[in-house]
Amino acid sequence: MIRVALPTGDLRNETAALLEHAGIGIEDYAAGSRALRFPMLGDAAVARVFRERDIPVQVALGNYDAGICSLSWIEELAQRFPGHEVVRVRDVGYGGHGLWLAAAGDEAEASVRIVSEYPNIAETIARRLRLRRYRVFPVWGAAEAYPPEDADVVLVAAPDEAAIEAAGLRPIARVLQSSAWLIVNRQSLASKDLSPLLSRLLAQAGASASAPLSVPASLGLRPAAPRAPRTRLRLALPDGHAQSHTIAALQTAGVRVAGYEDGAVIRRPAIDMDGVDVKVIRPQDMPQQVAIGQFDLAVTGRDWLFDHLVQFPSSPVEEIIDLRRSIYGLAAIVKDVRADTVAGALREWRAKSDAPIRVASEYPNIADHFARERHFGRYSVIPIAGASEGFVPEDAEILIEGIDTGSSVRANKLTVLERFYESTNCVIANKQRPEGALRPLFDALVERLRSGAAEPVAAGGGA
Amino acid sequence: MSDTTTTQRSRGMRDLLPDEMDRVRAAEDAFAAACRTWGYREIRTPVIEPLHLFTSAGTLSPQTLDRVYSFLDWDGWSGERVVLRPDSTIPAARLYAERLDGGRVAKLFYNQNVFRFTDDGSSREEWQCGVELIGDTGRAGDVELVLLALEALAPLKLPDVKVRLSHAGIVRAVLAAAGMAPDEQSAAYDRLLDGDLTVVDEVEARVPQLNAPLRLLFEVEGGGSGYIANLRGPLTAAIPALEPAFDDLAFVVEALEARGVTPLVQSVLARSFEYYSGLVVKVEAGGQRVVTGGRYDDLIGLVGGKHVPASGFAVYLAPLIEMLAPAQRPADERRIVVQAESDTPALLASQYEAAEHLRAARLRAETVEGMHSVPTHRLICREGSPKYTLVWPDGSEHFERLDDVARVLEPDR
Repeated sequence: MIRVALPTGDLRNETAALLEHAGIGIEDYAAGSRALRFPMLGDAAVARVFRERDIPVQVALGNYDAGICSLSWIEELAQRFPGHEVVRVRDVGYGGHGLWLAAAGDEAEASVRIVSEYPNIAETIARRLRLRRYRVFPVWGAAEAYPPEDADVVLVAAPDEAAIEAAGLRPIARVLQSSAWLIVNRQSLASKDLSPLLSRLLAQAGASASAPLSVPASLGLRPAAPRAPRTRLRLALPDGHAQSHTIAALQTAGVRVAGYEDGAVIRRPAIDMDGVDVKVIRPQDMPQQVAIGQFDLAVTGRDWLFDHLVQFPSSPVEEIIDLRRSIYGLAAIVKDVRADTVAGALREWRAKSDAPIRVASEYPNIADHFARERHFGRYSVIPIAGASEGFVPEDAEILIEGIDTGSSVRANKLTVLERFYESTNCVIANKQRPEGALRPLFDALVERLRSGAAEPVAAGGGA
Repeated sequence: MSDTTTTQRSRGMRDLLPDEMDRVRAAEDAFAAACRTWGYREIRTPVIEPLHLFTSAGTLSPQTLDRVYSFLDWDGWSGERVVLRPDSTIPAARLYAERLDGGRVAKLFYNQNVFRFTDDGSSREEWQCGVELIGDTGRAGDVELVLLALEALAPLKLPDVKVRLSHAGIVRAVLAAAGMAPDEQSAAYDRLLDGDLTVVDEVEARVPQLNAPLRLLFEVEGGGSGYIANLRGPLTAAIPALEPAFDDLAFVVEALEARGVTPLVQSVLARSFEYYSGLVVKVEAGGQRVVTGGRYDDLIGLVGGKHVPASGFAVYLAPLIEMLAPAQRPADERRIVVQAESDTPALLASQYEAAEHLRAARLRAETVEGMHSVPTHRLICREGSPKYTLVWPDGSEHFERLDDVARVLEPDR
């Protein structure tokens, strides 16, 4: 059985078309079915749909023999793990975009702050540039929103310079021209007959649309003067799924934030308090931003704070208000396991094999913490970006995942072994509170936000 | 589940077994003894250092930094990464700048490991014994380090020891004369080190005033001050910036020759071009590199200290483990295993008392026989009389007193 990892998202339509032209089309994949697995090549192959960034990891691990994803994600893996098992077979010629270094101004702090969804490539660039001191902040998204206050430089994906400029940034250099690539696992290529797949795909005309990583001679930024103490309070609000819950909390609190509405992504909306600036970023990225003092307050999920604190126990971030909205649990989820406890499942897996137990999660630090606490012994944590319900049992033994009503768990015939953490949305702050004129403003905003908390309710859902 | 592996040892990491550790200790002890008698003091730096220590120094190439084990530790919320030290000289320079920088000469040595990723299965952890001579010691300091390295190696009786010297200023001056920027110089140096002499042709084309073929410099390895004199005249006429490097090199070579050491002289020697600012030394034994070092006058300033010249070297233990003969037990060594005739608390106490007594008499006495024990004698402890029976391959003898046992086991008997 040949196992193929196919992308969801931006590359899906063109990948479906490529498969169709190659005579191995998958009707439901092309139609955008929400299913995650599809038979392919009759019964000779199975295709599994992933978020793009997960595909190189899955092919490198050998869970999948082949995959199609952007060169940028392949390079992101390769820069951190040069010995990985991914062989680049062919540029399939679509999905073109550049990875750009960009800045908002022409200055950089002495320790250059680089923000990116591609932290490994960013690290390589910093070394190649021989930056004397730098910090790379990995983010889940919205990197373009960080400069100039929260980053000196960003490394972002964009189709062209105009798109960078449209985000209010100045392109410094395009460091990679990416397009979709067909990749295979090295061991699979060496020992398994992949020809039914490869011969059809390689027969398709492929136009090379990519260019390798190239680093400019310098960033061209002047050293910035030491930062003066801030005179305005800074609040971070979340985008994505957490946005509607936060809007509800703000409405209850009577806090008006113009431009922060459902369906709108304005990165710098206006709050009805003088002296306060608001920025909209991903909730996952907030704890670190608060820890380093970029924001005084942030509305995020308790789950993301937990993930941050298990990775960095000395971080100076704390929860100060439980908004009691967006309630869900973190759970250990399996499929096709007879045991009904984590300990029982461990015994079941150990009886079959002494191979590492694969723990897949969007919360890699919590997953690692969970595995240590439950004495998993030999295990590996596979960070994932989404489409998580399809991971067990083929691609991982256990999934650490957020669940609310449990409908997705039931629909995918999954089993919750243990619901071990209850998450809500919350307000976080640095333990080192603002001083001087900012302190009364901070206290006033905290009081207003506190009044946005929902009435206490029982934790919802479950499996 | 994914495939199992046959070992739990991390890839690129090495176990050292007792016989190998005997050889490691022999090398370390010889090194430390030499350093102490020359007045050097031992230091140890942390395994974990901030990444910016190594990036700030600017002396590790991006290619070297690509191989560093870096990660965010428990305090990594600030975004500052840490590393498993990839090098000991930069941490030693930091230690000097932070803790010892009083303007006086510091004579330091260390014995510690460094970590660098390799993807060819070779060792990613390397043990080094190193010396740092920090302060304005001039060219005499370079001579001292070469002689100290040789004295540290001498007790190991290594085969075919060769000292090779170079000077970072030679290649730097030649490449600068060819108009190469620092980054181009580094790349060209690496090509030269890899034996790619097409670089020489490129340089010759860019320095038309040369009246001696550069290949003299890069192709021929000379033997001492005569060779330096042969090159010096024609080359410095074309590239005057070579003069200081030839001066330094000639001084050190002449001093070493006067001490009976005839070094070979090469134009390119050790990697880490950006590291060294003056003399570079490599010692080989049995065809393998066992020591590298040199002068790095800019490093202390780059890690935040004053501008203090410095030089140092490191002995690599891995090749020595392979080269050194297995440790020989002294022919007259008595290795006694002390045993109890039966398993009672009183006899066990007697067994340990007997072993302690023999050890006090400077004998090697074991109470648990292990896989490496190889006893020459066994002493059996009894409750009745005789209290002790000493057994050896050719016979046995009974005793009532431990003093008598110890007397019989004295080496000269």
